[in-house]
Amino acid sequence: MDTRSAREEILGKVRDALHRTAGASVPPVPVTARVPPRPGGPLEAEITQLLAEIEKLTGHTRRLASRAVLASALAELVKTEGVTKATLWTTPDLIAWDVAGTLRALGVTLVSPQADKQLVAGCELGVTGADAALPETGTLLLRAAPERPRVVSLLPRVHLAIFTPAVVRPDLHQAFAENKDAGYSVLVTGPSRTADIELTLTLGVHGPKTLYAWVMDTP
Amino acid sequence: MAITAQLFITCLADQFFPNVLKGMVSLLERLGVQVAFPAEQTCCGQPFFNSGYRTQARELAAQWLAVFGRTEGYIVSPSGSCVDMVRHHYPSLFPSGSPEQRQAQAVAARTFEVTQFLVNELKVTDVGARFPHKVTYHASCHLLRGLSAREEPKALLHSVKGLTLIPLSNEETCCGFGGVFSVIYPEVSQAMMEAKVRAIEASGAEAVVACDAGCLMNIAGGLRKAHSPVRALHLLEVLTAEGGAA
Amino acid sequence: MNPAPAAIDFRANSQQVPPSMPGAVQKATAKFLGNRAALVDLLGNDLWQQLRQAGHEARLHAITHLDAYLIQAEQAVAKAGGHVHWARDAAEAQRIILDLARRHHVKLAVKSKSMATEEIGLNHALEAAGIRVLETDLGEYIVQLKGVGPAHIVVPAFHLSKEEIAALFREKLGVEAPAEAQALTQIARQKLREEFLAAELGISGGNFLVAETGTIVTVTNEGNGRMCTTVPPVHVAVVGIDKVVPDWESLTVLLKLLARSATGQKLSCYTQFISGPPRSEGETGPREMHLILLDNGRSRILQTPECRETLLCIRCGACLNICPVYNSVGGYTYGYPISGPTGAIFAAQILGTQAAGSLPFASTLCGACNDICPVKIPLTDILLHLRQRVVEGDTLERAVAPAVLRAGARAGALALRTPWLYRLGGRVLAWLQIPFQRDGWLPRLPPPLNRWTLARPFPAFQPGFRTWWRSRVRAGSRPQ
Repeated sequence: MDTRSAREEILGKVRDALHRTAGASVPPVPVTARVPPRPGGPLEAEITQLLAEIEKLTGHTRRLASRAVLASALAELVKTEGVTKATLWTTPDLIAWDVAGTLRALGVTLVSPQADKQLVAGCELGVTGADAALPETGTLLLRAAPERPRVVSLLPRVHLAIFTPAVVRPDLHQAFAENKDAGYSVLVTGPSRTADIELTLTLGVHGPKTLYAWVMDTP
Repeated sequence: MAITAQLFITCLADQFFPNVLKGMVSLLERLGVQVAFPAEQTCCGQPFFNSGYRTQARELAAQWLAVFGRTEGYIVSPSGSCVDMVRHHYPSLFPSGSPEQRQAQAVAARTFEVTQFLVNELKVTDVGARFPHKVTYHASCHLLRGLSAREEPKALLHSVKGLTLIPLSNEETCCGFGGVFSVIYPEVSQAMMEAKVRAIEASGAEAVVACDAGCLMNIAGGLRKAHSPVRALHLLEVLTAEGGAA
Repeated sequence: MNPAPAAIDFRANSQQVPPSMPGAVQKATAKFLGNRAALVDLLGNDLWQQLRQAGHEARLHAITHLDAYLIQAEQAVAKAGGHVHWARDAAEAQRIILDLARRHHVKLAVKSKSMATEEIGLNHALEAAGIRVLETDLGEYIVQLKGVGPAHIVVPAFHLSKEEIAALFREKLGVEAPAEAQALTQIARQKLREEFLAAELGISGGNFLVAETGTIVTVTNEGNGRMCTTVPPVHVAVVGIDKVVPDWESLTVLLKLLARSATGQKLSCYTQFISGPPRSEGETGPREMHLILLDNGRSRILQTPECRETLLCIRCGACLNICPVYNSVGGYTYGYPISGPTGAIFAAQILGTQAAGSLPFASTLCGACNDICPVKIPLTDILLHLRQRVVEGDTLERAVAPAVLRAGARAGALALRTPWLYRLGGRVLAWLQIPFQRDGWLPRLPPPLNRWTLARPFPAFQPGFRTWWRSRVRAGSRPQ
C-alpha cells in the first residue's frame, strides 16, 4: 500500500503545528539532555559486581580459570539441566574453546541455529558469547550476525553465555557506541520473567528460564 | 521595625473556620506583626480555575489583585491551595508582558502561606504553644507540592510543648477533596476520604492536623461520619490552643 | 477519519468498580512504587533528578523537531532494508496491516504488548478479516482470553486471582490448570510457543524509535517481544510518531529511567534493538520488516503548546501507580487502554473532548504524578488546560460543558467578585441553613451539592470573622 500521501499529510501537520518549514535545520540535542556515564572501576571489582548482579536476577555465574575448568563446568551443566540437544554461536571464541566438541563428547546433539525453528526450539541449551557486559545492571549485550544468530539466546530453555573480561564496559553509553551499527542487538538482564499473575514472580515465560553467565579468565 | 501582614482569609475560612482566622490574628500579633484586613476581598478564584472556567478565574483574580494590589507588606493566608493559586497561576491568567501580569507577579511574590511565613520569613518555629496530645499530620497537596512546604508545618509541630507527633501512614496521599472533584466524582472522592480516615484512626492520634480548609472540611466530615472521636484541626488551632493567646 | 468514539462516562464507570479492584490495584502499585523508591535511593536523588531533566530535554527536543527526526528515522530504516509506511489514523493503519497480512496469506498473527495497537483496535480488525491474532504478553494473553482490555499498562491482568486465571485456562484452553503462578506460566509458555512457531506474522509496538540508525527498541521482561520479532517470517511494528528519540545517547538516558520508573527494575529482562530485517543470509529472523508510523491525532496534540508535552510519555506507568484516583478505581474506569494521568490527557486529546471530556476532571490535581514522571511531563498543567478546553472550548474543540453550567459559573463568579453580594450570600446561607443544621453540621445539602453529602456531612456556615474584626476595630484595639 502506497502511503506517500499519508506521509506528506502527516509531515505537513507536524510542521504546521511546530511552525517549521520543510528542510528546516535541527539544532544539536541540548547538552542538558546528556548525563555522564557511570565511571568504571578496576576490572576485578567490575567483574565481581557484574556477577553479583546477575546472581541477584537468579542467573548462575562462574569464573573459569582454564579450558579444563570450562569442560568440567559444561559437563555439570549438561547433567543438571538434562541437556540432550544444544545450539551454538560459531564465533571465534567459542570455536577456540571448542565448546561444540566438548558438548558432542558429552553426548549432546548439536543443532544448527539455521535449522528449522521447531528443531532449534527443541534444544534445551543455547550457547552464546557476549559483546558487552555491564556491571551496574548485570546485563549482557548480544549482537546478531550469521555466526551469532538471535534464536540461540532466545528459544532454548537454558541460555549459557561465555565471555572474557575484555567485554566488560562501564555503562550503556560505551556498549551502545560500539554496537549501534548492528542490525540487531539485545540487552539480556537475567532470565525471562513476569509478575503478571498476582504480582508473583515467575521465570521462563517465553525466553530462557535459566541463564548461566561464565567469565573465561584465560582466553 | 514592625512587619505588616495583610490577611488573605480565603472564602472557605471566611465561611467555615472563623476560629482559625482569629487564631492567626492573635498569633501574628503576639509575634509582633502588624495585621491588616482588606475587607473587600472575596475569593481568589481557584474553584473556577480548577474547573476550567478560566475567564471567570481571571475576573476573580483581577478583583483580588485590585484589593491586595493597593496594600503593602506581606500577604498571609492559612491556605496552601489559595496561595498556590496566587503564586503559580495568577501570572498565567494575564497576557504575557502585560501590566496586569507584572502586577500579578509582584503581588504574588509577597503572598505567603502562614507556616512558610512563620518559619521562612519570621524565622520562628517555637511560638510558645502547648498542646499535650497525640497528633498526626496530613500534608495538603498544594502546600506540599505546589509550595514545596514539606518541613515548615512539621517544624512548627515539633516545637509545640507536650505534643506527640505520630506519623500518618498515607501522610502525603491526597484526601480526595480536590475542590470540584468532590462533587463531580463523589464516589471516588469518598473512597479516597475513607482511606485517609482509616489511616488516621489506625494511627492512634487524638487529632489530625492540616493546613488547608478544604482538606479539613473533607476529613472532619469523614471522621464525623465514621463516628470517630478524632478531631480535625488546622495547625493554627494547635499553635494557639494553650500557652498562646486567645 | 476514525469513526466518532463513544463517550467515556468516568462517573458511571466509577460507580461500577468491582469491590476487589481497589485492593488489587493498591497491592500492585505499592510493589512497583516500593521497588522504584529503592532504586532511586540506590542511584541517589541528585543523579535521579539529573536523569529526569535530561530525559525531559531529550524527549522535548525530539518532539519539537519531530518532522526532521521522522524523516531521518524513515531513511535509516529504509537503508537497513525495512519498509516504512505512514498511517494518518486507525483505519489506515489497519488497512496497511490487513494488506500485508493478505499478501503473506497470514492465518495467525502473534502480538507483543503495544498500546498503539490497542489504540487502533487492531485485533478486532484482524479478527473481522478472519485472521487469528494472539496476545503473547502473559497479562495481555489472559485478558484477551477473558475478553476484556488491560487494567494497567504494565500488568494488564493484575486484578485477576490465580484461581480465576486457572479457571479461564481450563475453560478456554481445555487444559488441567492448577491455581499456581509458576504452573500457569508454564502452561502459557507451552501454548504460546506453539503459536509463535506457527504464526506467519509477528506484530509489535516500539518503546522508542532511534532516528540516528532507524532502530526500533522494544522492552519486555518475558521475551515475547523477541519472539514476535524474530520467529515469524514477517514482522510489522506499529509505532506512534511521538516515540522518536534523536540518538543512542538520548536513548541511554531514557532506558535508565524507564524500567526503574515502571517496575523498579534497573533494566527489563530484554531490551531489543531492531534496525531493519536481518542483513544477510544465515541470520535468523524475519524475511521482511515493516514499520508503520502512526499519527492518529498526535500531530494535532502538537498544535497546542501547553499540551504538547503529552507526547513526552515513555509509558512507564509510574503516574498510574502513584495516582490516588487510579488507586481507588483501577484502569477500566478510564475507558481507554492507557489509564491514570497520562491516559487521561492522551485520551482526551486523541479521542477529543466530546468523547473523553470527563477524563481531565478525573483528578484532584494533587500533583503526585508530576513529581514521579521520569520525563517531567507537567501533567496537572495539561489537565487544567484540557479542563478549560472542555468548559470554554478553543481553536481545536468547541466547548462541551452545557450552557446552563457555563451560565451558572458566570453568575457565581459575579456574586463572588462583588464584595457586598459575596458577604450577603454568606449571611443568607448562614440563615437558610438553620432548619437543616445538626450539631454544627449539615447532613444533607440540596442538589448539586448533595453529591458532597452522599459521602460525608457538610460543615455549618459560620461567617464570624468579619463581625469579630469589625468589633475589634470599633473597640479601637487595632486600626483598620
